[in-house]
Amino acid sequence: MTGPGSRAYVPGVGPGRPPWPYLLAIGLMIFGLPVVRSLEAQAKPTEYEVQAAYLANFGRFVEWPVRAGAGERDPFYICVLGQDPFGPLLDAALKGEAIGGAPMVAKRVAGVADAANCRIVYVNPSKDTPLRPLLAALAGSNVLTVGDVFDFTIQGGMIQFVLDGNRVRFEINLAAARQARLNLSSQLLKVAVAVRRTP
Amino acid sequence: MLLLGALGHAQRTDSGSEGRLKGLSLEQLGNIEVTTASKGPVKLSQTAAAVYVITQEDIRRAGVTSLPQALQLAPGVDVAQIDSVKWAVGIRGFQSRLSRDILVLIDGRSVYSPLFHGVYWEVQDTLLEDIDRIEVIRGPGGTIWGANAVNGVINIITKNAKDTKGTLVSAGGGNVAQGFLNFRQGGGNDEFSYRVYGKGFDQGPEFHPDNRQFDDWRRAQGGFRTDWKVDDHDTLTVQGDIYDGLAGESVRITTVSPPAAVNVAQNAKLSGGNLLARWQRTLKGGSDIQLQTYYDRANRLQANQAEYRNTFDVDFVHHITLSRRQDFIWGLGARLSPASLPEVAPTYVFNPSERTDHLYTAYAQDAFSLIPDKLSFTAGAKLLHSSFADFDVEPSARLLWTPAPRRTFWAAVTRAVRTPSDIEDTLQTAWLVSTEPLAFSRTQGNGTFTAETLLGYEAGYRSLVTNNVSVDIAAFYNRYDHLSSLEPGSSFIGNEQGTPAIIYPYVNGNGIKGATAGFEIAADWKPRPWWRLQGSYSYLDMNLHTIPGSRDTTTVASDEGASPHHQARVQSFFDLSRNVEFSLTFRYAGALPYYLVTGYETGDARVSWRPVAHVELAVVGQNLLQPRHAEYGGDPGMLVGIKRNVFASLTFRK
Repeated sequence: MTGPGSRAYVPGVGPGRPPWPYLLAIGLMIFGLPVVRSLEAQAKPTEYEVQAAYLANFGRFVEWPVRAGAGERDPFYICVLGQDPFGPLLDAALKGEAIGGAPMVAKRVAGVADAANCRIVYVNPSKDTPLRPLLAALAGSNVLTVGDVFDFTIQGGMIQFVLDGNRVRFEINLAAARQARLNLSSQLLKVAVAVRRTP
Repeated sequence: MLLLGALGHAQRTDSGSEGRLKGLSLEQLGNIEVTTASKGPVKLSQTAAAVYVITQEDIRRAGVTSLPQALQLAPGVDVAQIDSVKWAVGIRGFQSRLSRDILVLIDGRSVYSPLFHGVYWEVQDTLLEDIDRIEVIRGPGGTIWGANAVNGVINIITKNAKDTKGTLVSAGGGNVAQGFLNFRQGGGNDEFSYRVYGKGFDQGPEFHPDNRQFDDWRRAQGGFRTDWKVDDHDTLTVQGDIYDGLAGESVRITTVSPPAAVNVAQNAKLSGGNLLARWQRTLKGGSDIQLQTYYDRANRLQANQAEYRNTFDVDFVHHITLSRRQDFIWGLGARLSPASLPEVAPTYVFNPSERTDHLYTAYAQDAFSLIPDKLSFTAGAKLLHSSFADFDVEPSARLLWTPAPRRTFWAAVTRAVRTPSDIEDTLQTAWLVSTEPLAFSRTQGNGTFTAETLLGYEAGYRSLVTNNVSVDIAAFYNRYDHLSSLEPGSSFIGNEQGTPAIIYPYVNGNGIKGATAGFEIAADWKPRPWWRLQGSYSYLDMNLHTIPGSRDTTTVASDEGASPHHQARVQSFFDLSRNVEFSLTFRYAGALPYYLVTGYETGDARVSWRPVAHVELAVVGQNLLQPRHAEYGGDPGMLVGIKRNVFASLTFRK
């Protein structure tokens, strides 16, 4: 068998042999290697994994007005309205977490009407659904609205995730939160990349 | 889990990683780096064009040391090394040293030369570690990007200065890449950040069968970038580079008395610099505006010619989100490029030797969704006026169909033009044909050469088959008109610089037309979190011919025979442990009959090890499968063997 090194350099003369020996060698290298591999590297999280972790955190920095008829032990619902980008990520982030004794539970809701007992609503409408009326409808029910649509806070949303390079940060529309009688802690405002104080 | 998956576009994650961010504070969450893979492919899948993005990770892990080498990582780009200094690059055919059909931009600055209609690859460089990504668009991009984006656009984008804080020093050397040193220092706060960098290298010659080892070279470059977040809406970027180098080359020079044609090996003195400012403002409702201006200086002194060029450019872009279903973008641009082209050899003269080229452009493009989230249509046109041709228009229409979030079909029809350049317009040359009897051929720009045009038809399919497998297929049919030809006239007895001789006159014509067709397939597979495989194959068929009346007998063969029919590439990236990375590349390119270059297959490998934090040791081997191989015709002279190259590098990052 001829090794790669023995191939003479003859410029411009004749077609090359089929590259089978090299292909075989490369193939062996590529497919044989996993056998010797030992340690597994941890992949970076996706942006939605980080967003889900934020959602599990936000509740600790927000005061909700007391709701009539709400029981002490009602679950703390974090809802997804519209398309669900999280899959199992949100459920995993909330598993075993509680706030003021109330367990955090993820819930997918079909419309605004179902969102009445949610504390936090992640709003992710499809492209053809106008955002502003949806948010306006939610404003009456004292829920914290969160989203990553590009003009979320401009349209009246309260917390909008933004990508800062490859880090997930968030903006706050404080005016919208106040309208819904939510009290956001100064700690939350400090971490936000931008705070919109006027509607 | 099944139920949830059925409810929406649920994502699968690697088991065991769920909930791993528990207990982190808001500040900590804000500092976690994420892969935007979920957004990246979605965005890419929403582009009705054959776009490929080379990431910083790809560049680092492939162990490349120059921009042309990095371009090899994109499917469908033909990259061939001519010698140590020079590269020939092509997209969908017309591969040449100056890549006449590809528009190349570095951070929005065009590096396409109006002198030789192409890109001098040997003077385009930056600190490779500071590149954020290289976007390679195969196919015509004239509507947005402008003149000369006929077969493709290459967009080299460096990182924002806020992402390059800290110190980086790397140094190394090997048998061909004999020595190199890179450094960068960045800093700043959330509002204002900066970086400065410097790099230099010494590159040895490749293999010359005739032993004329003219192509060793050395080069130094430095630069800076600042990014200032003026307020919530405004950002200002200022950046610049400066470089100087001596590039070994051989040029063919004809002398009249005594009559001779000799290859002269002499260093080309290449230096230059640029300064760019870009202001971006976000407007309400997702709209934004951008104003960019730059100055570029390029000096080139070779044994046969010289060019000293200043370029001033202003560009304005306004992007308006009309509604959630409609996106509008328009822009204006002006470029002035005064150049001095003094005579170095009397048989290679630009007349006049001082000239100012200009390029004015205006464009508009509208994208709107016909069926929300499913079907969208983009139409636009660019109007341009250059000093070489009158008004020209570059319209395009693109259709994007997304039947499922991770599957996309697209199709496009685009017109693009390659504007004439100084060599077609004002260059006068004489070449010795024979000494007995004394005869010269003479080419002369006569101002009648018009723009080359393309009408391109494209279609493509992209699919994220699973979370770990993606496939991208694009096919094209390009119709070219008015392609450059060299038209012989009738010979006559005249004189060349006072010496009586037979003259064979040639003029630049537009006597070639024809079509090219082909396709590219690229696939990406991540079988394990620590193992990624990439592969691509591209096919090209060129079918050109002279038009009636053209007497050109050489250009069809030289255009058709200078790009490979087949190209393939397989890459494998392994994370052997937390501290050890390993990558292998196999690449194949078909024969170039015009240059008598046979097809070749070769391989590259890189292994790196981080013994302690901040320090990385890497060994890279290139062209490993044979001691040397030719990739393109000599420029000029015999084919140059590109050697097996092995180098080691040590990098400190903090």
